[in-house]
Amino acid sequence: MQPVRTEEAAVEAVAAIKPFQIRGRLFTAVALRLSAGPDQDFYDALDAELRRMPHFFDSAPFVLDLAQCQDLADRDAFVALIEGLRRRNLAVFGVQNGTSAQTALAVQLGLLSLSGGRDAPLDRVERKERPAPKQAAPLRPTAPATLIVSEPVRSGQKVYADRGDLVVVASVSSGAELVAAGNIHVYGQLRGRALAGANGNESARIFCQSLDAELLAVAGLYLTSEEMDPALRRARAQAYLANDKLCLEALL
Amino acid sequence: MSKVIVITSGKGGVGKTTTSAAIGAALAQRGYKTVVIDFDVGLRNLDMIMGCERRVVFDFINVIQGDAKLKQALIKDKRLENLYVLPTSQTRDKDALTQEGVGQVLDELREEFDYIICDSPAGIERGAHLAMYYADEAIVVTNPEVSSVRDSDRVLGLLNSKTLRAESDGREPLKAHLLLTRYDPARVAKGEMLNVDDVLEILAIPLLGIIPESPTVLRASNVGMPVVLDDKSVAGKAYEAAVARLDGEQIAVRIDTEQKAGFLQRLLRKSA
Repeated sequence: MQPVRTEEAAVEAVAAIKPFQIRGRLFTAVALRLSAGPDQDFYDALDAELRRMPHFFDSAPFVLDLAQCQDLADRDAFVALIEGLRRRNLAVFGVQNGTSAQTALAVQLGLLSLSGGRDAPLDRVERKERPAPKQAAPLRPTAPATLIVSEPVRSGQKVYADRGDLVVVASVSSGAELVAAGNIHVYGQLRGRALAGANGNESARIFCQSLDAELLAVAGLYLTSEEMDPALRRARAQAYLANDKLCLEALL
Repeated sequence: MSKVIVITSGKGGVGKTTTSAAIGAALAQRGYKTVVIDFDVGLRNLDMIMGCERRVVFDFINVIQGDAKLKQALIKDKRLENLYVLPTSQTRDKDALTQEGVGQVLDELREEFDYIICDSPAGIERGAHLAMYYADEAIVVTNPEVSSVRDSDRVLGLLNSKTLRAESDGREPLKAHLLLTRYDPARVAKGEMLNVDDVLEILAIPLLGIIPESPTVLRASNVGMPVVLDDKSVAGKAYEAAVARLDGEQIAVRIDTEQKAGFLQRLLRKSA
């Protein structure tokens, strides 16, 4: 526990000098392009989509794209739409491509007016959709998405657990890459790279039996092998985020 | 039942072609009808190492493209009854290899031969991919140094994913063996080379044999003779032991070196 406390102290010392840090950060939002005013058909279709992929949209930041919905100008209708979406746990925070009246109305209602943005590559969308039918089986809406790998992960191979934890019951060679939305566990030698919390989950952790990794990352914050404590080399260790810092400590 | 074995490594210069020639010859010595195919199109070396470069008329590419019959391209070894070589083209490149063409030639060879040894080119591109694609087993040739081990690891990943056996469901996966070549115990002791345990820990596949670094290997290559045909070579003996293990015999892996023999010879000379 000792090393963690020192790190906290260090963070506090930095904090005393500068009360904030400014960093550029990229976020992914979902754009909802309405093709007409929000009628009952719209909500039915939306609910069907949400049932199909319950986790994908849960609390996801949403932007309303009004390019094809210029006739929605009435304040009450607008409020109803936002409330309708927020009731479904969709975090609407901005509008895009609206008329100037629509944009002004949105800003009045506390939304942001956004411009630009780029559609995510289609293959990523497809990858997310393909496993969906299995995941969304009505009986197991929260089926665990842990990926277990029992073969050695060789140099040049990449294993991606896009919905949950990744457990490797073999060695991970240098030049291999593990990526998981959740935690990563490695029960052989970890010599490659391990990136946990790839979708931004800051509570994700990396656990390994024998640490010899080239790189460890949690939610985008990383440590290279040179920055790791040499005393932890080949030790049982875990990596986690604390105070916006990637901490590495031995497992007892 | 015939077996297709690919000799591969990823890295160049580790001894794939030497190993292909030696293992082919050792299998033939054990009475198996064996053919060694050169997949290194454009860099024809196998026929030189096997001493038949002056007898090449038709090659593997001619057969794939239908310009020659397989029988016309196969070269029978002059020293060993059961050994054949299928040389490659020096003037073409790897694009001349097609997956169907290679598959057809291998199917035809399977009807006649017990062992088909595919000598892979270095790298992981087309030539190397097609050399491993139809293999039943693989011998991964590795030198005890980090870059060779890393490349072998990469190749093992490809063997487990980019081969016919990996792609077809329900088939037994391809069996990979490690052959450690150019092993120099003196340099391992000095820490200049990885030791056997380090390599085995990283690659995690069964060890087929350890071939000690030996000047007899280069000498054999220069005269176009598979090193197993040199009775005095410890490397040749190590290849024979490796092939015996490949054939299912249980022999402990040991490391003999040329230096030891030299030391003994010096002693003998002194006492004489």
